Amino acid sequence: MFEVRNITKTYGSGRTQVTALDDVSFTLDRGRLLAVLGPSGSGKTTLVSIIAGLLQPTSGEIVIGGQPVHLRSAAEAARFRRKEVGLVFQDHHLVPYLTARDNLLLVPHLSGRVSRADRDRADGLLADFGLAERATHKPGVLSGGERQRVAIARALMNVPEIMLVDEPTASLDTERGLQVVELLKQQIHERGMTCIMVTHDPRMAEHADEELRLLDGRVVV
Amino acid sequence: MFALRELLGSKLKFGLIALAIGLVVSLTMVTSAMSEGLLTGMSGAKSSLAADGLVFQRDTYPTLERSIITADDLATIASTPGVRSAYGVGHTFASVGSTDEAFDIRVFGLGDRADQLPIVEGTGDLGPDEAIADVTAKLEGIEIGDTVTLTPVDAELTVVGFTEHRRYVMVPTFFVSLPTWEKLHVASVLGRVKDEGGVDAAAAAQMEAEFSGSASIAAIDLEDGVTLADVQAEFGDRYTVATPVEAARGGNGMPEMILAVSGIQVASIVIGALLVGVFFYITTLHKTTQIAAVKAIGASNSYLYLELIIQITLLVAIATVLGTVLALGAGAGMPPMMAFDPDPGRWAIAVLAVFGTAYLGSLFSLRSILKTDPATALGRTEL
Repeated sequence: MFEVRNITKTYGSGRTQVTALDDVSFTLDRGRLLAVLGPSGSGKTTLVSIIAGLLQPTSGEIVIGGQPVHLRSAAEAARFRRKEVGLVFQDHHLVPYLTARDNLLLVPHLSGRVSRADRDRADGLLADFGLAERATHKPGVLSGGERQRVAIARALMNVPEIMLVDEPTASLDTERGLQVVELLKQQIHERGMTCIMVTHDPRMAEHADEELRLLDGRVVV
Repeated sequence: MFALRELLGSKLKFGLIALAIGLVVSLTMVTSAMSEGLLTGMSGAKSSLAADGLVFQRDTYPTLERSIITADDLATIASTPGVRSAYGVGHTFASVGSTDEAFDIRVFGLGDRADQLPIVEGTGDLGPDEAIADVTAKLEGIEIGDTVTLTPVDAELTVVGFTEHRRYVMVPTFFVSLPTWEKLHVASVLGRVKDEGGVDAAAAAQMEAEFSGSASIAAIDLEDGVTLADVQAEFGDRYTVATPVEAARGGNGMPEMILAVSGIQVASIVIGALLVGVFFYITTLHKTTQIAAVKAIGASNSYLYLELIIQITLLVAIATVLGTVLALGAGAGMPPMMAFDPDPGRWAIAVLAVFGTAYLGSLFSLRSILKTDPATALGRTEL
């Protein structure tokens, strides 16, 4: 089980203090896809950044499998993301000079070693995402949908405890966006992972297992 | 692996910067070779004398032309405690007038140590009135077996061999035996005095007797464990002793020349370092978003800096090969009179300096890497 316990994040102090997240709590079981909805400025990205260890909360904690996550340094946070987190960005952020396959292999490379098992896993993921024929192509020659699928496959490379997906359909048309979300949901269910998807699009959120709505940093029931 | 992929993925961009760095490396090497060439051309005959030290008459160091060591001096120097052996080295000016146009030379008399000269053509055995010339004399049309007439002393020398890297003040040196040198030197001195109308036969004979067995300087070898400072202490202020290289580099105008050429070399290396540093800094700034994303998926700062160092190493290595080829090509294309004397040791130092300064320049990029916030990959703009 994945748990967010009383997370609060404030910036500044005194009269200039801004509260980005205010006592946010929720739990999510394995194999479930949670859609986080909310208008711009509601704290969605701050929440994902804290879960990914990119930001430290002012108070509260993240708990994975009953164990609180305490990240004391940037290096520890980087190690946490390498081992436990799969991140999918709004703009895919694939490395432009690497092929689709090498973009996946970048993940084990960051840990210092790319094994035969890693290569087999990359090939398997690309095949699962219908990208086997595009494995040797660089992002520049892939379509928007293909790039986003490569990005999702990359996020699955390290077999993460939690997948964090930030506006995965923002740069896609509705049909391709829905295809990507369906594919994501299918992978989450098959692999029994926990996934949090940030979106502003209610049509995409309909395909998630659960919904969490944020407004001005608070959970809206 | 991925550092190389990026280089291969932008061949034009990285190729151009490798070419630019290569040109800087080449400039550094060419200036190094030219400075060596200038030093060899200016003082090769002096700096390469086979000796632990050169002994000058008091108050004449480092001017070989003004020093006179008499036969008695030579005996005194040879018997000084700590001196294992000594031989006289004579120097005199002359012009060669046997070709269409006269050209200046320097004449060096070498005791019984002519065997120290590297012979590139002909023989190293010197007889009376014979000379081993620096090979640059060939550029004046001199060949083995030629008998040249020296002016103004009206003496003749037969060239029996050629040596190399033995010019002095940028003109060819003719090495002769010490008795031949003495004859030429005395004739030169007497000739000038006679021209002034002030010497008769008796006075000339007395002068010849006084010069007998003399030289300009003494070249000495030291006993084991003895230093030049020890010997200088024994000499007191009667003579000045220095290593051949020190004496050569201390010559008139030499320190200034060395300083000027060193300045050009240092400037080349600094430009190369700035080039590498600024290029990678700009490249790093251009891919800040990509760096943020890679950091967000778990890349450490050390991983990213290591990738950068690998890229710099590869790029500077390619630039070094390119620069070396260009420098050798430039050397091959230079006219023979151009002072160009590549020294692998100095080239290696130049290359190491470019590598070192390139790594130093990479610190700009490291700062940029450290400052890149991985959270920006998520477009954290909601605040």
